[in-house]
Amino acid sequence: MNILPIIIAIPAIALVLIALLKERHSKLISTASTGIVLALSIALLALSIQAGKASFSQQYSYIGSLGIGLDLNVGIIQLILLLVSSAVLFAAAMSGNTEDEKHRLSSFLVVLFQLASVGLFSSANFFIFFIFWDVGVVALFFMINTLGSANRKIASINFLIYELFASALLLLAILLIYFYTPVNSFDLSYIAAHAGLIPANIQMIIFALLFVAFMINMPLFPTHFWLPDAHTEASTQGSMLLSGVLTKYGGYGMLLLFTMFPISAQFSKYVAVLAAASAFYAVFVLMRQTDVKRIIAYSTIVEMGIIMFGISAVNNYGIYGSAYAMLSHGLAVALMFLAVGVLKHVFGERDIRVLKGTVVNARSTTYIFLVGTLAMIGFPFSATFIADILIFLGAIQAFGVYGLIPLGAIAMLGAYLYFVINKSMLSTKEASSTVGATTMGHRLGYALLLLLIFAFGTMPFLLLNLIR
Amino acid sequence: MQYYLIPAYATIALTLAYVALSVLFAYTNSRRAAFVTATVLLVAIGVFAAIMASSPLEITIANTLHAYPFSMFFIMAFSLLAVLVNILSYRYSTDYTAFSMLFSFIFMGMFLVSSANNLFSIMLGLEIVSIPAAFTILHSGKRHIEAAVKFFILSAISVAVLTFALALIFPYDLQMGLTYLAPNFQISSGYIIALAIIFIIAALGFEMAAFPFNLWVPDVYEGSPSNITAMLAGMNKKIAFVALIEILFVIFINYATEFSPIIVLLSILTMFFGNIVALSQANVKRMFAYSSVSQAGYIMIGLAAATQFGLEASAFQIVAHALMIIGAFAVIGWMESLNIRSVSDYTGLHGRNQFAAGSLTVLMLSMAGIPPLMGFVGKFLLFSSAIDARLVALAVLGILNSFISIYYYARVINQMYTRKNSARIAAEPYAMAVALVAILFIFALGLYPQPLISLAHNAMVSLRS
Repeated sequence: MNILPIIIAIPAIALVLIALLKERHSKLISTASTGIVLALSIALLALSIQAGKASFSQQYSYIGSLGIGLDLNVGIIQLILLLVSSAVLFAAAMSGNTEDEKHRLSSFLVVLFQLASVGLFSSANFFIFFIFWDVGVVALFFMINTLGSANRKIASINFLIYELFASALLLLAILLIYFYTPVNSFDLSYIAAHAGLIPANIQMIIFALLFVAFMINMPLFPTHFWLPDAHTEASTQGSMLLSGVLTKYGGYGMLLLFTMFPISAQFSKYVAVLAAASAFYAVFVLMRQTDVKRIIAYSTIVEMGIIMFGISAVNNYGIYGSAYAMLSHGLAVALMFLAVGVLKHVFGERDIRVLKGTVVNARSTTYIFLVGTLAMIGFPFSATFIADILIFLGAIQAFGVYGLIPLGAIAMLGAYLYFVINKSMLSTKEASSTVGATTMGHRLGYALLLLLIFAFGTMPFLLLNLIR
Repeated sequence: MQYYLIPAYATIALTLAYVALSVLFAYTNSRRAAFVTATVLLVAIGVFAAIMASSPLEITIANTLHAYPFSMFFIMAFSLLAVLVNILSYRYSTDYTAFSMLFSFIFMGMFLVSSANNLFSIMLGLEIVSIPAAFTILHSGKRHIEAAVKFFILSAISVAVLTFALALIFPYDLQMGLTYLAPNFQISSGYIIALAIIFIIAALGFEMAAFPFNLWVPDVYEGSPSNITAMLAGMNKKIAFVALIEILFVIFINYATEFSPIIVLLSILTMFFGNIVALSQANVKRMFAYSSVSQAGYIMIGLAAATQFGLEASAFQIVAHALMIIGAFAVIGWMESLNIRSVSDYTGLHGRNQFAAGSLTVLMLSMAGIPPLMGFVGKFLLFSSAIDARLVALAVLGILNSFISIYYYARVINQMYTRKNSARIAAEPYAMAVALVAILFIFALGLYPQPLISLAHNAMVSLRS
């Protein structure tokens, strides 16, 4: 029996159920849907470990006359991304919509985004990749637009314009690929095998279009302007999904681009410089922020810069290190956004100048934030540690000693986050007063994410042994 | 008697019955009977046409009507659209029986154009479509006189130009046939053919709302009641495309390389004009009028590609956009009856009526080309066909326009989902039914477009054989 179609069918069924059943069941259905998919992803991992390799695929006919199939394929990279996306989605669904009581709407959008994410990460051709990409973007647009905080309207429109510009470029690129491959095809493995036969100038255009499209989504320095506002204005769930899953769409796209198109090796040096610059730029901007959510939003750009840096090394260490970093960063950043959401819920405040001594009244959340910080900057026993080692090994292999430069950005990120924690959260001279309380859902979310961060940090062989 | 051709005869007989009964019911002024008859007959015509459209059979009746997959494909589509417009009109028309009679004429005209076997049928059919349409606008009350007169005058000009174009080619094609003479239709003097093509594109451009001929569109769309606007945007405009496909891709097929650049140019201008002007509209109906202009530009991409694939894509998008725009005008008409007109009036619609906001959102996302909705599949096919025909620049501009359009749709969506406390809006079964049917088709054919693509493929193969 094949698990892949079930993984996609479950959120689709859940969507219908949420729309039809009563509102009080919504949260339960979304939790069940995301939970089952996480369990199935772990089952896929277990099956892969048993078989010694990750390789699942399934074909269905879709638009026969154009040779477009509903093809699913999961290899090691896709498995990693499925794991992180379903874990983050499960945590988001469990913690619920803290800010608002619109459970039906929030659950519907979480499950719609889940459908898009599992579909995107298991798609075997660019056509359904594109479809799921847009569905995911639209789901998060509504999430920011309807469930976010005060300035959500402008932030969401900004997000939509940037993301759909990216998807317009993506559409153009995949159409060009389709008509310039020897046998018109959207199939990823076919394109990977025949990309070299596309005329060089067309390959350049395709590379440029795809690179800019994924760069906007990831995001890297000059095209990141949608990110800080979108992450800050979104609800807690929205921020978790944006940073933990949506930015991985672009990261996954970059992995595909650099592994499929031989021409990308020509640009790897320039891309590496851009990625490093993006990480340093973001960390310098981050140091001027006082809103904790905004700080974490900028930290996403730093980390995605590091991930792009790993991809641009175009060697095994870099590629798999980046995939692993997407896993670790997704988990860590979701944990931090969840913690910040709870701090806002408990203290009604996110500004580090006002938020003082949270350790007194919200002990667990404060320590979770601390652990999240450590997990994000690559403390040993966290998954990021493994990922960073791989990425920088790859970078040294490709760029020599210059490959270590971006470590500076991570160090500065860690230093500033330590400053934030020390000055604001752990300072017990004065303590902010509480207006809310942590819920069971939040604690379960923490537990799940922490467990996975620790598991993949201590047992990297689970995934890395599957690489052949 | 060939039994397998019964559906073809049935569509003709039912159309005639539809016209006759509508006239009868207009005379006796029985609203409900007229409505039920129209709905039942139109559904039956649609079903019979769908049966014929999926088989390669063809027959020419009385040397005028050609029943083949191409005609049956469009008759199928138009009868479905006519059912939707009919439901809307039953609710919103001030004098429904009179509307029903005029509408049956319009449908008959569309039937004639779709199944035309010669140029005279096309011309006659277009007249039968446009003149009753002007009367339907006029009939809806004093406010609409300006719109009716504008529409009537422009239709008259369009028919005059078309007549002139046909006169130019008449000496070379005395039978005016669409089938027999096509392959060996040759004219020695090139400029006559060029003139004829330009005049035909211009004449049909009025009704298609292609760029320089589209200045009437916003005034007429805004000035007409919404059920009529739905008809104009969803049916009248589309029949002009059908006529253009029939004329250009049968008679002038050997001149495809010559007329393709003209359509490329018109397509680009139409898309940009529609989208850029729509950006600054405050009235939602007017915004949709301009968006429908830009959609005409997208449909023309397929014609510009001038390939089998391009025509299929255009046929798909013709149906897709007709469904979307009729669904959208159903909701807009419903809102209009509550005096909700401008974008700022739509603020907080989600809190007032979830169905209205939700359905309009889905329809707008589909128009913007967001997957997995039908509008996306249509645009995807169109842009693919352009790249397939090596018109990469056209595809790029099309995608760019599709991106521009996001902005004005997102503006309305944004307003609808803003929280604002106002009175709830009561359900409106007729408008909701139309929007719901449109959305069901948009979802179904967006998720699984293959059936309609195959039908469009059959249709275009039969046209070009």
